[in-house]
Amino acid sequence: MTPLCRLDDIPDGSAVGALPDARGRDAVVLVRRGDRVFAWVNNCPHYDRAPLGWRKDAFLNGDGTRILCAAHGALFRIEDGICEIGPCLGQGLTPVSVIISEGTVCLAG
Amino acid sequence: MRIIGPDELVFGVDNILDCQAFLADYGLTENGPGCFEALDRTAIVLRDKDDPSLPPPLATATRLRETVWGVEDQATLDAIAADLSRDRDVVVEPTGRLRTVDDAGFRIAFQITRRVKLDLPPERINSPGAAPGRAANEIGADEDAAARPRTLSHIVYFVPDMDRMANFYIDRLGFVITDKFTNTGPFLRPQANDDHHVLFMIQTPDYMQGLEHLAFHMQGPTELMLAGSRMVKKGYESFWGPGRHKFGSNWFWYFNSPMGAHVEFDADMDKHDGDWTMREVPMSKEAAQLFLFENVAKWAPGGPPPGKG
Ligand code: FES
Ligand SMILES: [Fe+2]
Repeated sequence: MTPLCRLDDIPDGSAVGALPDARGRDAVVLVRRGDRVFAWVNNCPHYDRAPLGWRKDAFLNGDGTRILCAAHGALFRIEDGICEIGPCLGQGLTPVSVIISEGTVCLAG
Repeated sequence: MRIIGPDELVFGVDNILDCQAFLADYGLTENGPGCFEALDRTAIVLRDKDDPSLPPPLATATRLRETVWGVEDQATLDAIAADLSRDRDVVVEPTGRLRTVDDAGFRIAFQITRRVKLDLPPERINSPGAAPGRAANEIGADEDAAARPRTLSHIVYFVPDMDRMANFYIDRLGFVITDKFTNTGPFLRPQANDDHHVLFMIQTPDYMQGLEHLAFHMQGPTELMLAGSRMVKKGYESFWGPGRHKFGSNWFWYFNSPMGAHVEFDADMDKHDGDWTMREVPMSKEAAQLFLFENVAKWAPGGPPPGKG
C-alpha cells in the first residue's frame, strides 16, 4: 500500500496533488469531502499531456464544487469525475482507488 | 482598415483572487481594479462572472467575455461601425468604443488603441562573425532582470467554423492570412501590424468554442526562459515549452491558468508584409514546433563521484 498523504493534510473541501513524478508533477488529485477522499488521475481527457491544475494543489473552481481544468476551463464533478462542460463534455477523469488507513490516504492494492 | 491587434481581453471569473495573483506573477502590473497591464498598457481585465458590465457568456466553458481590438484612428472606428452595422448591432459607447459580435458569436469591441509606443532595448547577443551585440564587460545573464511582458501578442480561439470565422476577419476587418494549418485554421494579421499573427484559430465542435490561449511578447528568448522558470519555481503548472514554433518562429512557453485558458510567453516572432506568400501544411507534432524542451530541476557539475572526494 503506497501512502499518499495524511487525511489531515487535505483541508476539508479542498484538493491536493500527490505522487509526484521525477519532474515534480503530481500524478494524482485528491479531493476531500469530510471523511471521504475522491482520487483522480491528474490528466484532462481532452489532451494526452494535460495536467489539470494551474498551481501546486490548485485544482478546484472558485466555490470548490467542481474540479477545473486550467487549460480550457472544463469542469468535472468531484464525486464521479464526469465533465459537465468543456472540451471533454461527457467524458470522465480516470479514477484512482484509494483507501484511508489510520488517517493515511493510500493507493489501494 | 488600421487595426493593430488585441488591446484588452476581458474575463468573467469565479476565482478572481487566484487570477489576480497569477497575472501579477506572470509579470503584468495592476493599474485600476482588475486591469493588469503589460509595458505598453495592453491588458487583461478581470471581472466577477456576474458583473453586469460584462457581455453575456458563451454557452461553453470559456471565461473569456470580450476581445477588445485596438485601432490606430477614428477613421478606422467609423469604417468598422459603418460596415458591421449593416448586419449586426453595433453599440457606440460614450468613450467611442464600439461593441459588437463576430460571426462565430464571440463578443468583440474596437477602440482607439490604449497602447503606448515602447522604446526599449532588444535582447543583445554575441554571434561569431558578426559585430558584438554587447559591449566588453556587459553581462548577458542577469538573474534579477524584471522580465515583464511587453505587449499583448496574440489570441487563439476554438471555433466551430474556421472558414466562416476567418472570412469575417478577412472580408470585414481587412486581416490577411500569413500561414495555415490545413483543417485546423489560419494565422491572421491585421493591416496595422506586421507580426506573423495576432489571431489564430482551431476548428472544434461547437461545445468547445472559446479561448485556447493568449500570449504576450517578451524581450527575447532569455527573458522568456527567465519568466517561465520563475513561474515554475512559484509552483505554476507548465503546459508546453519552452520551445520554438515553426510558423511565426516565435519562442513559446505555455502555462495553465486560473482563467481556464493557456497563457503563453512568446518572443522573437517573424514580421511580414504584402510580399509574403502564405505557406500551408497539415497540423502535426513536427509542424507545431521546431524543438521542444521541458524545465528540470537545477543541477551543477562537480569533481569526483559523491563520496569519493
Ligand atoms: S486540456 Fe483540459 S479542457 Fe482542454
Ligand atoms: Fe501562441
